[in-house]
Amino acid sequence: MEEWINELQKWLKQADQLIHLIGEVPTVQFYVAIGVLLLTSVLYLLVLVLKRTKSNTIVFAGLSGSGKTVIFYQLRDGSSHQGTVTSMDPNVDSFVLHSESDKVGEVNPVHVIDVPGHSRLRTKLDEYLPQAAGLVFVVDALDFLPNCRGAAEYLYYILTKASVVKKKIPMLILCNKTDKVTAHTKEFIRKLLEKEIDKLWTSIKNCYI
Amino acid sequence: MLEQLLIFTRGGLILWTCKELGNALKGSPIDTLIRSCLLEERSGDLSYNYDAPGAAYTLKWTFNNDLGLIFVAVYQRILHLFYVDDLLATVKREFSQLYDSKKMDYYDFDDIYRQLQKEAEARAEELKKSSKLQFGGSRSTNFQSKKQGQAAVIGRSDGGNQKSNGSGKDGGDKDSIVSRKLQNGNSNGHQNGIESYATGDGKGKENRESEAGAFDVNKLQKKLRSKGGKKTDTTTITNKAPKVDSNKKITKKNRVWDDAPTQPKLDFTDPADERGDENFEVVAKDHGKSMMDKEEIISSDDESEEEEDEEVGADNKPNAKKTGWFSSMFQSITGKANLDKADLEPALKGLKDRLMTKNVAEEIAEKLCESVAASLEGKKMGSFTRISSTVKTAMEEALVRILTPKRSIDILRDVHAAKEQGKPYVVVFVGVNGVGKSTNLAKVAYWLQQHKVSVMMAACDTFRSGAVEQLRTHARRLNIPIFEKGYEKDPAVVAKEAIQEAARNGSDVVLVDTAGRMQDNEPLMRALSKLIYLNNPDLVLFVGEALVGNDAVDQLSKFNQKLADLANSPNARLIDGILLTKFDTIDDKVGAALSMVYISGAPVMFVGCGQSYTDLKKLNVKSIIKTLLM
Repeated sequence: MEEWINELQKWLKQADQLIHLIGEVPTVQFYVAIGVLLLTSVLYLLVLVLKRTKSNTIVFAGLSGSGKTVIFYQLRDGSSHQGTVTSMDPNVDSFVLHSESDKVGEVNPVHVIDVPGHSRLRTKLDEYLPQAAGLVFVVDALDFLPNCRGAAEYLYYILTKASVVKKKIPMLILCNKTDKVTAHTKEFIRKLLEKEIDKLWTSIKNCYI
Repeated sequence: MLEQLLIFTRGGLILWTCKELGNALKGSPIDTLIRSCLLEERSGDLSYNYDAPGAAYTLKWTFNNDLGLIFVAVYQRILHLFYVDDLLATVKREFSQLYDSKKMDYYDFDDIYRQLQKEAEARAEELKKSSKLQFGGSRSTNFQSKKQGQAAVIGRSDGGNQKSNGSGKDGGDKDSIVSRKLQNGNSNGHQNGIESYATGDGKGKENRESEAGAFDVNKLQKKLRSKGGKKTDTTTITNKAPKVDSNKKITKKNRVWDDAPTQPKLDFTDPADERGDENFEVVAKDHGKSMMDKEEIISSDDESEEEEDEEVGADNKPNAKKTGWFSSMFQSITGKANLDKADLEPALKGLKDRLMTKNVAEEIAEKLCESVAASLEGKKMGSFTRISSTVKTAMEEALVRILTPKRSIDILRDVHAAKEQGKPYVVVFVGVNGVGKSTNLAKVAYWLQQHKVSVMMAACDTFRSGAVEQLRTHARRLNIPIFEKGYEKDPAVVAKEAIQEAARNGSDVVLVDTAGRMQDNEPLMRALSKLIYLNNPDLVLFVGEALVGNDAVDQLSKFNQKLADLANSPNARLIDGILLTKFDTIDDKVGAALSMVYISGAPVMFVGCGQSYTDLKKLNVKSIIKTLLM
């Protein structure tokens, strides 16, 4: 105990000396400096806390020609206006859904990103995945068979991305253009996609024997 | 009369189409334009030709990069409308004033458009009358002003200028290629090749020519050049005769001296070589893991900003005014400037020179820079960015877009798919002489073998001495069956029989080796086209060496052209992939990869980097781009 108290006293003496040294600085400025430090650390902690709130970004991905841009404008304005062509840039917007625009009361806007599906622009998807809270994979149910392999490859590519796996981003597969008579059914598409992904998986597995 | 005029955003939404020209377009020309031209970094071209069953359209376009709008005009190719560029420019101007990002319908633009069209047509009529009098006068206006025909007089004669300038430049190129080929003594019918190349080259050149109308200075220049070249024709004819003769078998009687016993056998090759397997021990040792399967570790350090500054500073013209520099610095801080063509020029020139020092073909570098300029013109710069960094990022994005393959290049998947259908997967290796087809064929065979795929080789190089033996040696070392028929046989028939044999004994993949041939050699190209047409391979792999410079453009475009022309069916097989060889001989002059991919649109599937079996790897897009722009 004695030694403890001795140690403490030595400490206090040293602290005293330090404070005397610092005491040469005018006290007002000293307190202002400490105040600023505290303020910035509080702000920083606030920002950290705020950032953790969930983002409400939905990303639409899929092969070129599956109808993502049409869906985007349909959700936003209720119609696709005069039609669309192959997108070269993503469509990003935050809006209240058109179907909910006449609802009374508090409606949360959604942040929707429509990423171009052309194979040359696939790298654009990587920019938007980190902020995605959910992903919708759009499949063309009308023209499915010729594009089956491409769709399966793209889907496989997204499913095996590190960011998607780590954050466990929920995914939805949307079969588009089912109003047409010759469109395939949900079950057919699901079975075919499963088969293709299986084939992909086995062939990639065999690569690394 | 225009077929259609569209305005759409970069995100894909159509903002306005002309209601009067209500004809539905056959096929989908706009989508094809975007996919094959604008996304392929050919937006610097003047026009794009689209063929659909029942219609042949030409498309012209212009960008408003600031607002992210694209204006496209479609018209029938047989009509030569001169006012389209002018009309597009005026439409762009008027619409940009009307544009509001919230507004989706622009029905009030219809009247404005009608008026603009009338004005444009009237101007074109005046021009036609006046230009017939004053053509040939102004040859010196600048080469740069291409797309937007600015004012009336410049519009038409400008078209004439850059056409004659452009073909003059290319004519010079061709002349040098002609003289080189003459020196090599490879002259079979190359004169025909040059003529057909001059008239049949795509990329909008024929559009420029057909738009001439009156007195064609261009054709006169070509005639003068060909007159000079006609003298060499006689030499080609004489060269042709002995070559044909040597192909036929001339059996000479052996001269006998001093009553020595006749030696009937002059062939001293080891008889065991004819049926190689028995006498040689199987040297199928494992050479290690092929480099295709090794993951490449890319160092992700950024290049230093400082040395780039100095380079760009040296490139800048020394007579840049002090006030110009100050205002540009000011603008770069505030970031409100609209990028002008004049601003982009020095940065683009610096980039083009840098690309050319990395062995990118001059034509390709030029086209790429034009495309980047087209996509950046009129764009607002962000704050605190310099023009050179904006241009560099745009160029990087463009290069990523070009080098990223359009479709999956995973051959193993395709092999498995063909296996399920029960037929062998056929790969044909084509290329000019001496690029490394046989060596790399063996490397690919080794790699496939490592993935438990049964391979068979087909020796369809029946011309070059020792080609069959070369393949036989490889086959023995790798313990792979080989199908051969010796020399002087028709390669197409040999390939057909090889594929049938493979189907019989259950091989998964057939690798077909062909003889090297120059792209100007008409009979050899015809033979190659026949081989491909007859056998319909799954993959036509063009083997090109990384050391090639500007000739890569010529090789690939002529190969594709000949394959398309000489095939009998409308949908001809073109080159599906590229195999880049001798990559270890270039340390950082990697531009040949870019030239080849740009000109053909085919992805680079393999890269050969050495002479042993394991020296085969995949193309690493990021490291190539880093090396190109360093």
